[in-house]
Amino acid sequence: MQPAGLAAAGTPRQRKWPSKRRIPVSQPGMADPHQLFDDTSSAQSQGYGAQRGPGSLGYPAAAASPQAAFLADPVSNMAMAYGSSLAAQGKELVDKNIDRFIPVTKLKYYFAVDTLYVGKKLGLLFFPYLHQDWEVQYQQDTPVAPRFDINAPDLYIPAMAFITYVLVAGLALGTQDRFSPDLLGLQASSALAWLTLEVLAILLGLYLVTVNTDLTTIDLVAFLGYKYVGMIGGVLTGLLFGKTGYHLVLGWCCVSIFVFMIRTLRLKILAEAAAEGVPVRGARNQLRMYLTMAVAAAQPLLMYWLTFHLVR
Amino acid sequence: MAFTLYSLLQAALLCVNAIAVLHEERFLKNIGWGTDQGIGGFGEEPGIKSQLTNLIRSVRTVMRVPLIIVNSIAIVLLLLFG
Repeated sequence: MQPAGLAAAGTPRQRKWPSKRRIPVSQPGMADPHQLFDDTSSAQSQGYGAQRGPGSLGYPAAAASPQAAFLADPVSNMAMAYGSSLAAQGKELVDKNIDRFIPVTKLKYYFAVDTLYVGKKLGLLFFPYLHQDWEVQYQQDTPVAPRFDINAPDLYIPAMAFITYVLVAGLALGTQDRFSPDLLGLQASSALAWLTLEVLAILLGLYLVTVNTDLTTIDLVAFLGYKYVGMIGGVLTGLLFGKTGYHLVLGWCCVSIFVFMIRTLRLKILAEAAAEGVPVRGARNQLRMYLTMAVAAAQPLLMYWLTFHLVR
Repeated sequence: MAFTLYSLLQAALLCVNAIAVLHEERFLKNIGWGTDQGIGGFGEEPGIKSQLTNLIRSVRTVMRVPLIIVNSIAIVLLLLFG
């Protein structure tokens, strides 16, 4: 959505590039303010412009004369062309290989959110008791984007909540005169370490109980990241209203997250039993139930453990 | 709150080392966690014990060589930087 908009917005502006950039090669700061990624050299901008084939028909012709004015001999022309093709190759290589280490396309699904979804999801995290239908809707075998289904997990809220938690922790430490900048890094590192440990423990538990589930690791990270929202609420209330406020709000958020996790994980882990809506007896289902309860019970414990030292 | 990512890495290395030193013949067979004891055919439910046994065997097989490398690096770094 956004790249198309940028390209469309960039096309009419590219025709303005020759008039703006003809002279100042030495002023890389003077660039079009609406472009997100600025090229800082005219040579590179010509190579970059040549990549955006359809939109830049008028550009190379108009830029030919200022380029010729700078680079008279053909050797440096060739070198410039070679350099720009090398840059293009490098960009291609990175784009091709980045998918091996970070699943970018999969991650994009988790960030396809909008304000309405975030608002509803936050409401659901604080008050999950009235929500009836917890199933994720599918669309031809792929889950629907979070924008369209409130039950789908997303990574936007956990990421934002994590960063906000680190900042609020810094704020809380500051009000108690215990702040120092490396403590922020320590808080972030500690919370990340606990998150990693949780994910590994749950993956081990899922492996041992041989659950056939479509719960991916990123899904798990998303679900485990939702507790930061409650933690932020608790610490902020603790800052405003003291320890009683902290305990009240944290207790409420703990129970909410417990219910939320149980209702969400029940559909993922206890698939057959949840489909009928009846608790089925049997060793396997019992183990799965224990696993779900353990995961859900770990959330309030961690919420308390990660915040109690911040509120005095 | 001294639980950092670095200490998590250290703990993980120590745990993997611990799994790697479990001796097949002298120890695992004696407590009934050997790899050729009661794996069971292609039945439906592997059960926790056979999953654990498989996990231990896979970790020992897969991590043998990487552990040598990582342990050497850790020894050198700890000797140099304490």
